[in-house]
Amino acid sequence: MKQSQPQTSTNWELGPILRAMLRNKVGAILIALQIAITMTIIVNSVYIIVERNKDMQRDSGIDNENSFYLTSVGFGENFNVPNTVEEDLTMLRALPGVIDAIQTNAVPNSNSGWSMGLKTQSGVEHDAVGTAVYMVDDHGVNALDVEIIAGENFAPSDISLRTVGQVDWPNKTIITKAMAENLFPDINYADVVGKTVYINDIDPMVVVGIIDKLQAPWVNWSNVENVMLSPERQSFKGSRYFIRTEPGMRDTLMNQVEELLANSNNQRLIKGMRSIEETRERSYRGHTAMIKILTTVMVILTIVTALGIVGLASFSVNQRKKQIGTRRALGATQGTIIRYFMFENFLISSIGVLLGAVLTVILNVILVNAFGLDRLDWFYIPIGMLVLWLVGQAAVFGPAKKAANIPPALATRTV
Amino acid sequence: MLKMTDVKKVFRTDLVETHALKDFNLQVGEGDFVAVTGPSGSGKTTFLNIAGLLETFDGGTYELDGQDVSNLNDKHRSQLRNEKIGFIFQGFNLIPDLNLFDNVDVPLRYRGFNSAERKKRIENSLEMVGLAQRMKHLPSQLSGGQQQRVAIARALAGEPRFLLADEPTGNLDTKMANSVMELLKTINDAGTTIIMVTHDADLAKQARRNIYVRDGQVSEL
Repeated sequence: MKQSQPQTSTNWELGPILRAMLRNKVGAILIALQIAITMTIIVNSVYIIVERNKDMQRDSGIDNENSFYLTSVGFGENFNVPNTVEEDLTMLRALPGVIDAIQTNAVPNSNSGWSMGLKTQSGVEHDAVGTAVYMVDDHGVNALDVEIIAGENFAPSDISLRTVGQVDWPNKTIITKAMAENLFPDINYADVVGKTVYINDIDPMVVVGIIDKLQAPWVNWSNVENVMLSPERQSFKGSRYFIRTEPGMRDTLMNQVEELLANSNNQRLIKGMRSIEETRERSYRGHTAMIKILTTVMVILTIVTALGIVGLASFSVNQRKKQIGTRRALGATQGTIIRYFMFENFLISSIGVLLGAVLTVILNVILVNAFGLDRLDWFYIPIGMLVLWLVGQAAVFGPAKKAANIPPALATRTV
Repeated sequence: MLKMTDVKKVFRTDLVETHALKDFNLQVGEGDFVAVTGPSGSGKTTFLNIAGLLETFDGGTYELDGQDVSNLNDKHRSQLRNEKIGFIFQGFNLIPDLNLFDNVDVPLRYRGFNSAERKKRIENSLEMVGLAQRMKHLPSQLSGGQQQRVAIARALAGEPRFLLADEPTGNLDTKMANSVMELLKTINDAGTTIIMVTHDADLAKQARRNIYVRDGQVSEL
């Protein structure tokens, strides 16, 4: 026989590997399924984590780092709420380092507050748009650090006093841009200034101003950007004060304010002092816990999947020692053996990630329908496929290297 | 064709040092058919492994087809095995999950032949061993003799300069063994150099040349 020169081409053994897998498919199917399930859970988990992170990074509209609040609860018989509030606010606003202070019924992102519905037409038959309500005086815009982007602020004369059990509302309001756009989707938000909206189905309020951004108290609420300011102080025994400080002065002023208020009137208790940062941390605790749990699940699943691949590949190498020795004897280099096992894993992983892509979409549809999550962005799927491919390749590399070290002389020995 | 001079091979464990080959000298010419016999543990298989570049050795020189292969790295040894040497194993060593076509295809893929060239060679070699009609069968669907014929087809498909056979009839009955032996003689007649390790003295007699290995050294019979 004459010697022939070899052709130069790379043979990945696609056909033989596929045919061999089809004849011995249980292990490959199990690993492909494991990869598919892992991908399904990981991609949806990552998506949920990213969404939760986005929620946590949302701008609350207020100065998170330099704001705090507290509650003053009067208990004495002679405790005069309006006078005390006036005295307290005058004192607080005069404190060095305080930018502004207000009395308010609720605090953004605190998970506790008031909500109402606003309508563009009077009458019970019309639909309302849900909104959070912050009762503030003319210092509200400055204390909350929000910007009026259309219209104007409340005038001191606009501020009324709300008593316990009162059901009517002032005739002016300031709303967020998001609320303006929800109420009047067909016109520019700036043109909403001067429009009349209806609260309690029929009570008219004129929109005098639009603020850029302010979030509702409830961080998980779908209408979290819908907020209205109502020009009111409250004549309730419990008064909540919201204080904004110069940068870096918050912690000092928290101690100072508590002491000052407590000493200024002995017919009340000062309680619930908390920074906005701490409040947000508490409100997003569920998000943080979910992120930690999902991250743990993802890491464990990835490790289990990687170990599964290592296990199957190691088992396969041990079972095929003689065959690998024979392949080496027939001319396979160590690189060829490594490539064989890695390509085999790539094919199994490919089946797994393709099935995983389908399952990922199915799980996402279930989550969207069951929990109202947003639909998964398409790019998560190819990224998930790539990650699982890489995990598979990394996991199989060790066993593949072990296979490559099987000596060709094994072909002539009894294993 | 093949020239070993003072080749030494020592297997070491923590406690024992075994001299498998001691000053092993052998020269095999082109077109020869050499039968290697010897008692168990004499070094026959070690010789075959070294001759087939399956194992390295500890001393001496080895020239294969005019090339000194004493110090080649693993990659070059693999390439040389693939291009110049065909192997026939006692246990056939066919890959059970691959059909006959794919089994014969294995060394050709390593060689880098394109698919048309491989197909031609596979069909020719299976035709030569009389199994062209069964190329889609799995090894488990064949008799032992047929499996060894497939192994021979696999060894020949790459048109090697020489064939190394390790007890090629060791797992076959007499009829099958004779049939395989006839095939090897035909292949040798066509010009392929063959070195065959065997326990069977009758089979060895059918080779052109007989050598005897004892205690890691060779003696001509």
